[in-house]
Amino acid sequence: MERRNFFKLLSMAWGAVILLPGRLLAQTEKAAAPASSGAPGTGADGTVKLPEYAKEMRDSDMLGLGPDGKPTGQKATFTGASKANAKAEEAMRHKMKLTKEEQAVLDGKDGEEKAKLMKILVAFGNTFGAEKLVDLGGAPHSNMFIGAEYMKSMIKMLDKCAKAGLKSYAPYTVNPRPYDVYNVQNNPKDMTMIYEGYKLQWDLDYVHVRLGAPDLNYRTCACYLDEIGNAPEPGTYVAWAESSAVNYGNSVLGIRTNRNGAGMDLIQAMLGKAPLFGLMTDEGRMAKWLVEVKTTKEPDWGAIGTAIGRKCVEDVPYVTGLDKYFKDGKVTADNLHLLKAMGSATASSGAVGLYHVEGVTPDAKQKGKKLLAKGYKTYVIDDKEQARIISTFPNLWPKKNADPTAAFIGCPHNTYYEVIKWGKLVTEALDKAGKKKAAIPVYMFMPNTVRARAIEEQGELVSKMKRAGMHATNMCSVSYGGMKGFSERVRGVTNSAKTRNYTSIRYFPDDVLVKIIVTGKIPKGA
Amino acid sequence: MAKKTFQGRPMLSGKLEGKALVSKQPFNLTGSYLKNMFAGETKTAPCTDSANKELYEKDLKGAIICTPQTVGSTMGAGTIMMLSELGVGPQAFLFSSHIDSISAGGLIIDDVWNGKRVVTIDLLGDDFLKSVKTGDPIAIHEDGTVEVG
Repeated sequence: MERRNFFKLLSMAWGAVILLPGRLLAQTEKAAAPASSGAPGTGADGTVKLPEYAKEMRDSDMLGLGPDGKPTGQKATFTGASKANAKAEEAMRHKMKLTKEEQAVLDGKDGEEKAKLMKILVAFGNTFGAEKLVDLGGAPHSNMFIGAEYMKSMIKMLDKCAKAGLKSYAPYTVNPRPYDVYNVQNNPKDMTMIYEGYKLQWDLDYVHVRLGAPDLNYRTCACYLDEIGNAPEPGTYVAWAESSAVNYGNSVLGIRTNRNGAGMDLIQAMLGKAPLFGLMTDEGRMAKWLVEVKTTKEPDWGAIGTAIGRKCVEDVPYVTGLDKYFKDGKVTADNLHLLKAMGSATASSGAVGLYHVEGVTPDAKQKGKKLLAKGYKTYVIDDKEQARIISTFPNLWPKKNADPTAAFIGCPHNTYYEVIKWGKLVTEALDKAGKKKAAIPVYMFMPNTVRARAIEEQGELVSKMKRAGMHATNMCSVSYGGMKGFSERVRGVTNSAKTRNYTSIRYFPDDVLVKIIVTGKIPKGA
Repeated sequence: MAKKTFQGRPMLSGKLEGKALVSKQPFNLTGSYLKNMFAGETKTAPCTDSANKELYEKDLKGAIICTPQTVGSTMGAGTIMMLSELGVGPQAFLFSSHIDSISAGGLIIDDVWNGKRVVTIDLLGDDFLKSVKTGDPIAIHEDGTVEVG
């Protein structure tokens, strides 16, 4: 349906947490004595103390730390191009060819601000060996979602661009806000911390709306959902940011984007151009790994994604053995969440920006095993390997054997299908147990447009979900897991391997989660 | 020690001399600067990354950071711009590997938009990191050559 909505906007208009895993957080916490309040303070020795809210603020990207919290030595350019064999002499000679129009913009034809943006983009492209700039299509997706003070200089730059009249070449989608004071953090303590920690959120939202982002109902990390509609055609060059969106877009939609960092996403959006390199090229989309999934039952999608991310880091995998879970090799609104779960785990446990699934994803359907690069390596995930990966997921709760206090469903954001599935799973299990309310609150993460559709089409179920203690929220799950003192006061459980990777929240299979939600207890042996 | 010379790519060229601060593990661009980012620390840049045993609690202000690559948040570009605005950023990054796209983006944006340059040389090779030790004298040249010792 409302892919529809976003593209209506397109035609109407003119024709975007510091990543600290729980284990590191615990170390940081010990190292830095807490200030007495949420505000920064000065310790007895005269040194500056970290405010409470800063100790667990997170965002997302690979940290190069293993499950034990020790450095793995893993490196990544975060472009999908490992550049392991790059040589200085060759790299320093590289210069992109610019068109006359691009050179004119660089020379100031469209004003000082745009000239500077072009200079940045050209230098960035030259750094990564881009051949040329390409025109962008579809619509951008930005991960600029944190209005913390340290983003001030970046926001000032974007504000100046907006004041100069620059805009994205098309209306664009943005990651969810890092908080929700309506449905989740509606208490004075959390709200105080939010307003201390995200002082520039308003400034950031104001920049976004002037550069071309729609209203906040469209905020999500899953911009490709029908209810958002930012799903460009296969082969379209775009400049997306947000690791899970890039990963899904490149793989399932077949679009071509590198993994962009905050800032570079919007610079490319304002220029309508991107440097052609890495995951945007045929060569960069070749697979250096053949991953053979040989589990005897349907795999744990988050676990195999974690396995792939740890093994491949940022190389492209070609995955076999999964086509049987996609009828006729089709990715639909009812099964896309499987790839969303696997892909986002590859992107968070490693830095995978693209994967191919044999018989399912567009590149693989077109080229098959011809996508395997010369000298590719093979990784087999069988029942034993899947179990080994799950066994490395640590219990980071300070009180390890205590009961859970909240469930976090949907990171990346839930699809409509998932919302309805979880609504039925939980309410039916409650009915069976003779209960009306879940034992712990269940936070369902989704864009407002998905919530609206659920209310419209499944009103009775949504009402029952609400009465059962299932709360819809459009915020970022990982950001919530990163709020002040979260791990001390919340013992969370989740279905998201991505959320698990970045927080103290524990990961369980769906059937176990339902039991936990109904009983408030972790089943023995789970 | 005998002087050793390494050739890298002068991504953001410059000439300067100083002493090396070495992190053999990838440098966490955001996790290292939490006090500057969130605690109002504006005079020094104490490393807050407790997972980095070599750098933890050392002052990173004005450092010549020698490391394979950076890791960490996709918001890293914002961190780089904040450090230079505060005047507590490093003088130089010397990477043995290819620079990553997050720090590259931030360093280039700050150089072009704000005219604030952190000399950045990458592709110095694994031997560079095997040779250099914290406190070693470093001389960086415009052409991307780096002398250690």
